[in-house]
Amino acid sequence: MKADWTTLDADLLVVGGGVAGTMAAIPALEAGLKVVICEKGKVLDHCGSIGCGVDHYLTVMDTGPEWDTPDFLIKHVPELTDHIVDMAVAGRVIREMPRIFRKIESFGVDFRDRKTGDYYRLRSFGLPGTYHINFDGTDFKKHIGERVRKGKATVLMRTMVVQLLVEDNRAYGAVAFNFRTGEWHVIRAKAVVLAAGDVNRISRNASGLAFDSWHFPYNTGDAQAMGYRVGAALANMESVETTLTPKGFSCQGLNALVSLGAYFVNRRGERFMFKYDKKGENARRAVIADAAINEYLLGNGPVYLDCRHLPQEILDRMEYTLQVDRYTLPAYYKQKGVNFRKELVEISVSELSIRRSGVYFRGSGLAVDENGETSVEGLFAAGDCATVSGGIAGAAVLGHIAGEGVVLRVRSTNGALPSITPEMVEAVRAQSDLHLNRGNGMTWKQFENETRQTVTDYVGVRRTEAGLRLALQTLHSLAGREPTLVADDLHGLMRVHEAKNIRMNAEIMATASLSRKETRTGSSHWRLDYPETDDRNWRKFVLVDRGGDGPRIRTLSTERPLSDAFDRSAA
Amino acid sequence: MADAKVHNPIRIDPQKCVRCDLCDWICPGDLIYHEEGNKEKLPVVAYPDECWYCGLCQSICPVDAINIVFPEQMVRNQTEVLTLLGKVVDETVTQ
Repeated sequence: MKADWTTLDADLLVVGGGVAGTMAAIPALEAGLKVVICEKGKVLDHCGSIGCGVDHYLTVMDTGPEWDTPDFLIKHVPELTDHIVDMAVAGRVIREMPRIFRKIESFGVDFRDRKTGDYYRLRSFGLPGTYHINFDGTDFKKHIGERVRKGKATVLMRTMVVQLLVEDNRAYGAVAFNFRTGEWHVIRAKAVVLAAGDVNRISRNASGLAFDSWHFPYNTGDAQAMGYRVGAALANMESVETTLTPKGFSCQGLNALVSLGAYFVNRRGERFMFKYDKKGENARRAVIADAAINEYLLGNGPVYLDCRHLPQEILDRMEYTLQVDRYTLPAYYKQKGVNFRKELVEISVSELSIRRSGVYFRGSGLAVDENGETSVEGLFAAGDCATVSGGIAGAAVLGHIAGEGVVLRVRSTNGALPSITPEMVEAVRAQSDLHLNRGNGMTWKQFENETRQTVTDYVGVRRTEAGLRLALQTLHSLAGREPTLVADDLHGLMRVHEAKNIRMNAEIMATASLSRKETRTGSSHWRLDYPETDDRNWRKFVLVDRGGDGPRIRTLSTERPLSDAFDRSAA
Repeated sequence: MADAKVHNPIRIDPQKCVRCDLCDWICPGDLIYHEEGNKEKLPVVAYPDECWYCGLCQSICPVDAINIVFPEQMVRNQTEVLTLLGKVVDETVTQ
């Protein structure tokens, strides 16, 4: 190997230093394991989707009433997910919620309302209780980050993992590079936790700016794509997620709006949500988005946010909460010259993400078992890249579960890890260097734009077999152009890798969508050619893994856990 | 590096900026570059079109030297939402 390689040996490698990744590191550090974290951001205290802050935390607290018990929430999960959910994993996540919540409180996160000193719990998104704690989570990530730093993990910042190391269906590390210094790392580890978040920059939005996204635009499905390439199975990848945002600025805030009583009205001033769900604006996010999409398709747009009826005190809380979630929102309204307290605000449907399709506990991503382990032994996944997802709490809880799973896996692992050969790691770098050294070729921006356009047109909201096949043709042809992608600098090289990962996820999504011949959860998977939900034939998971010539599809009854489709002995 | 025609959302006031490294340090998108410890040079917004508009740089700036400015297409957006909702493919054309 050339001299600028660093080789690190660890028990656990965590890919992604957001909530799920740092929470996975904590039990491993507590058990005395050696942990390395690779993260594209620079500061553990502020990286990941909620590095800027978060305003809600979904949890069962077990405070006494029946609705606040894990069993009660678990009972409602099939209905909340339209019956496409891995109950074994979702059940474990919900049962662990009170324990992990109290553990996070012990790190110093203050979930209590500053005025009353009590928890301010709200009902939203179709959940059968007031499970969302509304709080000032500006420093939420900071407290978790501090915990990891105190535990003495090795943290490689501004570092992107580009290749997982797997032999005989057993993970043993990864190859990564620092996009500030150009230093390459090989991290050899007994277990790897993938926690790199959801898939964004995958479709167009109103502003046309790729990085103006509701979710974190630097989450580009790196974990899903890398996991796929080494044989891990993914599920629910056909489901997409969208939300409602002020038209022109894709920002967070729907939870705060609906839980505090905002209305949505169409151009005729009609409060239309009740036409779609008896819970009105309190319906699941998927239903809210679907309702707005329908209103636009029916010619009833624009759709507006209406807060004019709300009392001053609620508006104050709303304004405060919205800026915790997205610091710049008040400045946006100010520059726009809109007062959301007194005026209607025009709303758009956001770009799409692959995350959890607007419902809780049905994640789209790497299939995991009850310990957070994927179909590849020693390879774990948590957070928005895994098949059970539930916002920050879901990431924290499954992350912690995965970290505990790692401890068990590492303790039961015998024998030496495969050795790292210079040829193998040099080959990974040589492939990256090709992008840096090309004089001309396709820019990653153009490549991404073409991916986004085809997803928007044919894989997004309204799907047909013909459209999906057309999209797959374009996506395959883009794959053929990947070697011609140009990186101007190391930062650009990171974006080239991201662009390839986004395209890979788009292909997996289109392939999975083609196979599910029904419509499920409204426009999360809306097949115009199969417009009905077909419970008789399609209470099934669609699993995707790498076949001989592209994504391979399998289905599995939702009566069974996804791990029943794993064959960890396959080598 | 940045194209002059690209909208720069991160406006750094050279009069106020104290050339610390915090904005570079906190930017989640690796957009802002400042040579560590260099008290002469201003931070550079190297990739302005990759901004998430999160405002972390503005919130951490110790001297309020950063202002976030939204571009016209975000503030007065004219996009037809229907164009984001997919194209229905005529089966007879594609088969």
